[in-house]
Amino acid sequence: MSSGSTLTEILINGVSRGAVYALVALGYTMVYGVLGMINFAHGEVFMIGMFACVYAIGIFSVAWGNHVLLNLGLGLLVAMIFSAGYGYANERIAYRRLRKAHALAPLTSAIGISTFLQYFIFLTVSKQNVGFPRYYSDMLTSNHIHLGGVDITYLQIAILGLTIVIMTGLFYLIHFTRFGIALRATAQDQLMASLVGIPVDRIIAFTFILGSALAAIAGVMVSMYDNVLVFDAGYRVGLKAFTAAILGGIGNIPGAVLGAMILGLTEALTTLGFGSEWNDVSTFAVLMLVLLLRPRGLLGERVADKV
Amino acid sequence: MSSRWRPYLLGILGLAILTFPFLWLQLRPDFTENTMTVTWAPWHALQFFGNLSPIFLLALLIWAGNWSNRRFGWSRALAQTPAFEKTAHLWQGYWAWAAMPLVLSGAFFMSASGLNMFTNVGIYMLLALGLNITVGMTGLLVLGYAGFYGFGAYFFALAQGYFSFFPWWLAGPLAFFLGGGVGYLLGLPCLRLRGDYLAIVTLGFAEAFRVLIGNLDITGGQKGIILHTSATFHGFAGMRGGQIAFIVTALVLFLAVFLIQRLYHSPVGRAWIAIRENEVAAASVGVPVVQMKLLAFSLSAAIAAAAGVIYGAMDGFISPEVCTFQQSIMVLAMVILGGLGNSYGAMLGAALLYLVPEYLQLLPSTIQNSTALSAIVPPFLSGAFQHLSDYRWLLFGMVMVIMMLYRPQGLLGSRRIKTEMRAS
Repeated sequence: MSSGSTLTEILINGVSRGAVYALVALGYTMVYGVLGMINFAHGEVFMIGMFACVYAIGIFSVAWGNHVLLNLGLGLLVAMIFSAGYGYANERIAYRRLRKAHALAPLTSAIGISTFLQYFIFLTVSKQNVGFPRYYSDMLTSNHIHLGGVDITYLQIAILGLTIVIMTGLFYLIHFTRFGIALRATAQDQLMASLVGIPVDRIIAFTFILGSALAAIAGVMVSMYDNVLVFDAGYRVGLKAFTAAILGGIGNIPGAVLGAMILGLTEALTTLGFGSEWNDVSTFAVLMLVLLLRPRGLLGERVADKV
Repeated sequence: MSSRWRPYLLGILGLAILTFPFLWLQLRPDFTENTMTVTWAPWHALQFFGNLSPIFLLALLIWAGNWSNRRFGWSRALAQTPAFEKTAHLWQGYWAWAAMPLVLSGAFFMSASGLNMFTNVGIYMLLALGLNITVGMTGLLVLGYAGFYGFGAYFFALAQGYFSFFPWWLAGPLAFFLGGGVGYLLGLPCLRLRGDYLAIVTLGFAEAFRVLIGNLDITGGQKGIILHTSATFHGFAGMRGGQIAFIVTALVLFLAVFLIQRLYHSPVGRAWIAIRENEVAAASVGVPVVQMKLLAFSLSAAIAAAAGVIYGAMDGFISPEVCTFQQSIMVLAMVILGGLGNSYGAMLGAALLYLVPEYLQLLPSTIQNSTALSAIVPPFLSGAFQHLSDYRWLLFGMVMVIMMLYRPQGLLGSRRIKTEMRAS
């Protein structure tokens, strides 16, 4: 194989990894856009999605046998529902009562939720890595199409396709629906939004639920891609996704996608040049560089400070 | 009745549904077919709740204490008894000085393992004090504090390996200034911004630093570095190395408390508090916000680096484990538990969070060795205490959430932060 096609393959890997980061980063950036707070438990919601999918597949295979497409599709659905439930619980427990408190308070309680969820899975599910059932992921990971001299697996196509569909849907939801208008109004001014009859509490809860469901999709994709489920996966991916959200300008949805793509490509190129163990170092270098040159992120705009 | 309890019942029901598969079912990989099945594992869930039973006991005790306090008001009565009221000013400010000879004399009658444990407590107290400057006093969140701790430790380890003579008393002050410099450089790009950028930049720094030292050859990779005995705390003037370590840690701790308290009550400290309360308002009355934030952050980074040197000199061995994310979160939990913005609170939190798990780990053997205790404590409870160290992080998470909801100012939080952190 020529080096040119290796580079293209690396780039495709980078873009599909970036797409996964983008799905997680959206959750961070939406919550930040609406509440102005970091949702530190978001990575753990992603991890819950991974495990919920595998549990669902296990239950279905006991209940009615191994039907790949049916069980996988239902597993994805269950993962989204479970992650949404955990995201909602996180909002109710860690955020709602502390919304008007000092900024450190909800952040700290979210770190508490995140630590709790990690070690809950560590103690109840598995201390070691769990593999994704290959019977289900093989169809997606071992089949590939040949395009312009490189092999693209079905899974990579699925990740890219799903991400594009979700981004389009999200763009439509935020810009052209009543919910989107309410969401943007809540982000601008919660008090004014509630005065004109927008149910602020419900809008904020729905933001958490939406972000968590997207994280679950990313979780299932990553667990198939890497074939590893582990209790601290949420921390690792969450850190990357959060960095991506900051790179693009936190609170800005297209920015999160752009940042995630840059991060995915950086990682892929680092893996090619130095080896995958240096990924975290290059990520940090990119973050510092962007913060030095464009302190508000690539697409972030200057906002006036409020007293 | 029903309308009052309904949200709680619904919440518990929701949580039961959400945790159901993870608690009551167990994953079974099927390697012949490469699939996954689940099996019913009620025993697993019961064991989980059984292991948590000491916590439920503790929660019940706290609830009973609160209830009886509401009913009989004993805490106010206690505070108003003349013995406490009249002497309150005595044990608020100057008890540290009275404690000094007491603490230092401890070096001469403690066992080696006790000295080791309390030196560790001292190091964590130093870290909590340092982190309290940024998180508690200035209101900036730092999530990668252990990165600076690791920086100090590795600076010491590398320098003593490179130079033939590089003892701890040379490394400590040098690490203090170098750590401060690193903090300054790291803070420079992100402290100009509002919001929580510092949190993520420090977290990224700590992770990148850990990965870097875990992969480089000169730092020994994951295996770590063993320090020369000439550089570490060794016996001197008839005292053992452990005693020297304890005394040095205690003296550094007293110095740090003194300096931080003086700073806190100086114009600098007032500027920090002003920034914490309202950054824009502080800037508008002429507080140099960026400089003050940088000063707070570099100072806390410097303290962590110095603590890293003390750790290296005490332990004689350094590995990338010193700057894991868990370490950062542990120190943060100490500051939050003890009381944001209060130096003594941070130290109390450090002592509690380090010593309680240590003693809990020792508890089962203590119960077994003592005939009286083993007669009283039922066996299932002592078995549960054995697993409690596994559950430490789970409890950390719970404690952090519960503290934020019910006592956001921490155990000894300053009164000023209490009014501010409560939901208005």
